[in-house]
Amino acid sequence: MGWNWGWGLCIPRATGRGCRGEEQGGSTPPSGPICPGAAACSGAPNPPLTPFPSASLQDIRNTVGNIPMEWYQDFPHIGYDLEGKKIYKPIRNKDELDMFLEKMENPDYWRTVQDKMTGADIKLTDEQIDLVHRLQKGQFGDVHFNPYEPAVDFFTHEVMIHPVTNRPADKRSFIPSLIEKEKVSKLVHAIKMGWIKPRKPKDDTPTYYDLWAHEDPNSILGRHKMHVPAPKMKLPGHEESYNPPPEYLLSEEERLAWEQQEPAQRRLSFVPQQHRSLRAVPAFPRFIHERFERCLDLYLCPRQRKMRVNVDPEDLIPKLPKPRDLQPFPTTQALVYRGHTSLVRCLSISPSGQWLVSGSDDGSVRFWEVSTARCMKTLPVGGVVKSVAWNPNPTICLVAICVEQSVLLVNPCLGDKLLYGATDQLLESFVPPEEERVQPVQWVPATMEEHSKGIRLVVQHSKAVKQVTWHGKGDYFASVVSDNSNMQVLIHQSSKRWSQNPFRRSKGLVQCVLFHPIRPYFFVATQRYVRVYNLLKQELTKKLMTNCKWVSSMAIHPGGDNIICGSYDSKLAWFDLDLSTRPYQLLRHHKRALRSVAFHKHYPLFASGSDDGSVIVCHGMVYNDLLQNPLLVPVKVLKGHVLTLDLGVLDVLFHPTQPWVFSSGADGTIRLYT
Amino acid sequence: MAQLTARFRTENRRYTVEDVPFSVPAASETTDLSQLINKLLAAGNADHKYVEFDFLINGQFLRMPLVTHMEMENISTEEVVEIEYVEKYMAPQPEECIFHDDWISSVQATEEWILTGCYDQTARIWSLEGKSIMTIAGHTEVVKDVAWVKQDSLSCLLLSASMDQTVLLWEWNVEKNKVKALHCCRGHAGSVDSIAVDCTRTKFCSGSWDKMLKIWSAVPTDEEDEMEEGANRPRKKQKTEQLGLTRTPLATLSGHTEAVSSVLWIDAEEICSASWDHTIKLWDAETGDLKSTLTGNKVFNSVSYSPLCRRLASGSTDRHIRLWDPRSKDGSLVLLSLTSHTGWVTSVKWSPTHEHQLISGSLDNIVKLWDTRSCKAPLYDLAAHEDKVLCVDWTEGGLLLSGGADNKLYCYRYPTTASDVGA
Repeated sequence: MGWNWGWGLCIPRATGRGCRGEEQGGSTPPSGPICPGAAACSGAPNPPLTPFPSASLQDIRNTVGNIPMEWYQDFPHIGYDLEGKKIYKPIRNKDELDMFLEKMENPDYWRTVQDKMTGADIKLTDEQIDLVHRLQKGQFGDVHFNPYEPAVDFFTHEVMIHPVTNRPADKRSFIPSLIEKEKVSKLVHAIKMGWIKPRKPKDDTPTYYDLWAHEDPNSILGRHKMHVPAPKMKLPGHEESYNPPPEYLLSEEERLAWEQQEPAQRRLSFVPQQHRSLRAVPAFPRFIHERFERCLDLYLCPRQRKMRVNVDPEDLIPKLPKPRDLQPFPTTQALVYRGHTSLVRCLSISPSGQWLVSGSDDGSVRFWEVSTARCMKTLPVGGVVKSVAWNPNPTICLVAICVEQSVLLVNPCLGDKLLYGATDQLLESFVPPEEERVQPVQWVPATMEEHSKGIRLVVQHSKAVKQVTWHGKGDYFASVVSDNSNMQVLIHQSSKRWSQNPFRRSKGLVQCVLFHPIRPYFFVATQRYVRVYNLLKQELTKKLMTNCKWVSSMAIHPGGDNIICGSYDSKLAWFDLDLSTRPYQLLRHHKRALRSVAFHKHYPLFASGSDDGSVIVCHGMVYNDLLQNPLLVPVKVLKGHVLTLDLGVLDVLFHPTQPWVFSSGADGTIRLYT
Repeated sequence: MAQLTARFRTENRRYTVEDVPFSVPAASETTDLSQLINKLLAAGNADHKYVEFDFLINGQFLRMPLVTHMEMENISTEEVVEIEYVEKYMAPQPEECIFHDDWISSVQATEEWILTGCYDQTARIWSLEGKSIMTIAGHTEVVKDVAWVKQDSLSCLLLSASMDQTVLLWEWNVEKNKVKALHCCRGHAGSVDSIAVDCTRTKFCSGSWDKMLKIWSAVPTDEEDEMEEGANRPRKKQKTEQLGLTRTPLATLSGHTEAVSSVLWIDAEEICSASWDHTIKLWDAETGDLKSTLTGNKVFNSVSYSPLCRRLASGSTDRHIRLWDPRSKDGSLVLLSLTSHTGWVTSVKWSPTHEHQLISGSLDNIVKLWDTRSCKAPLYDLAAHEDKVLCVDWTEGGLLLSGGADNKLYCYRYPTTASDVGA
């Protein structure tokens, strides 16, 4: 049997798949060895089978088909036989040692393969191994197949007298083309019309592209104006003569000096020499060298005149007026108000400018006479005073003081007797409304003992109060509570003892609030933004981006159109409310965090106090003319406070009428600069 | 060494030298020149005693080497220099230190007694020896200014102005040592900071924080002036807390836009007031009209007038003492600035006897004695105070007084030399 294909080895059984086997039943060995079904199905050459122990008894062909046999990995069987019974995996109990022994002892080990379908070991015959070798070499499986049979030509390459085809030529190859005729008539028409000129004499003059045809001769970069002539060579002098006058000849010392000089530093690049006659002049040894240097000169010479822009750095600095032209402003420390034993957090001044009030961490509020630094009164309040505010209305003598969770309204009993008497009467004239209204705070009249100290009303909040500020008319005041909810800002009316919470939602941690001096606006500074609310329309008017990390303080120009914000990242932002919601200028004069900023009521001055212990006074002129932007000039750095606990100036304040500035510091003093 | 030719001259007959040019070393100072003059005098007069002299060149005291001074003053060293010399002023001799209970806001002294106003709401009378004679209590607030009105051997009239918006007129019986409040001058709506009694001793003027000047009668009477009462104040209550009879102002002068810090009478018809609104105003006392205004550029704390030289001296909230001519009508009003203080000048006072000298007290704790012929440096620094100086006074008897925030009143005896009188 020359071809030993799989179906030549099939089973002598009358099954569905064994039909081919029946065709070649004659070739089946009578012993009927059984082949594993896989080879039969895949069509691969099937080797003659080794006798299987039970092969004579039953046919164990697997019927699972051409599937990955890993699917049966976890089962005890590996498929089903023709009768649908499970074929169990042969018991493999060979360990490594058995394997090794078999490898060593079995001479046919190398030709034994495992049949995946049945799990039986099969020993390959010599023919099968030959077939495998041939296939591995890329040869045909059949030994007798010759792939290189001699080629037989279909047509001969020689020219024969008879054509291959004998078809006569078409008629259309003898009559002129209609398309060509159309083209020719078009050309003829164009010649008649004069569109084409046949046999025109050829123009022999060469055409060049004129690079400079469109150049503007008057331009400043015009070629001729910018022409830089090549550097000229120096004309030869007496030194180059073959017989120079003796004064040009180098003496011995000069020649030594010449030799010691660097070639670049020599005045002459050669040594003048004297020759008897022109005939005796030898060839110039440096000729090539000199030519080369000349070429270098030409090559490296400047080709272009550089337009240098001469800018004086001074011109780039904006023209600011000199500080001494901007007088008056505070320049020197005049008075020190001593008395507090701890850091003085806050300051406020009476509208007349006669009294100053200060609140300190030592739990007291002190009232000072401005002109002499005399402490007129001390009011112990039993807690850290976070903020004080003197009523800006000159007809009311009242100070609001933030102590822990309450705002105290204190009548300092300073100044005009009639005024502070009237203030008391104003507060006492309160008639409680008939129906009790729900209020976010409690208004408690002072006890007798407190009354004798000057305290008139106590506004008790639910959380610690950190700032209080009056409206310009002196009836309303706003307080800021350190809280995270919408209850951070409260507006109170002192005459009606009525408080309200203007905001429904919290927009962040409120740092400070401010009333507009003229219009019904309310400024709320959170960490990064200042929001401007219209109190009449009850809506947000503007939102100012401070470009700062954390706003610490805010002050408004008495005109009401400009505000300044100090921030803990040592910046001061000036906003022009008419101009933009971004800072008009960002001043970075301080080295440390700003704690407080203030505007003067009449003079064009503003000041900022910082943790670096200095107060910087700036001239901030706001013009009535809308076209002219504000003029900001720093004029003075005022130092005096001693740094205590890493804190410097905590509050700054201007005198209402004089160009004086007060600063309170962590060293427990208040200083007046004039 | 360079030499200068100088001619010496003096007003004092006792110390005249020959009027011939001398050649003196250019680098010589006052001590050298003084020795020179003394040698000349000793040569002419055997029993001459050594006297210290001070030298003036064109009305300026010599305080440095001669040549440097002349360079600074732009005086030619080529020509003969005329040097005037006067007997050197003696240093003020400290006499008394009077202790108070609180800051001293004001002081006024006479030949016999010293009257001080104090921050403990009292005025006090002291003898010149520093003995406490009387404590006048009655104000309910700080006493800001005091003034003598009249002195007899039996009884004296005096005034005290206070922050409680009143001025009290007191009668002090010297023999019985009793004080009695005669009148309570009511009308100011702010702290009364300054009072001044006129030369006829019948009127006085007060200046207050409420920007007003008021003129009152200083003559005690038995009648009470009617006062329009505020409806809110019960009359009875007011009666009980008030001392003396109520008195209302004769006239009110308004025109200042800020607090009035200091008032004085220039003569019987003219009042001068200094204010925080950077002006000094001169008023006609009879009609109450504003006569003229001198405008400065700083807040004025104090003003003083010398009838001898007809100059006003002002102390303001900067380091300078400025001299003004109240009569001048043209623009340049400041005649001279005396600069040596380092703090606000709180108080100035002209010498009552010497036309060139004044004293000043300042927040830099120093009292300075000035001669207007030496505007760069004072004649003497009186550095005794340990705190702010708030008030100074100079009596006719040559007593310098200064009080301050260290609760001490210092007295100095300043001898008036014969040359002063002669000059």
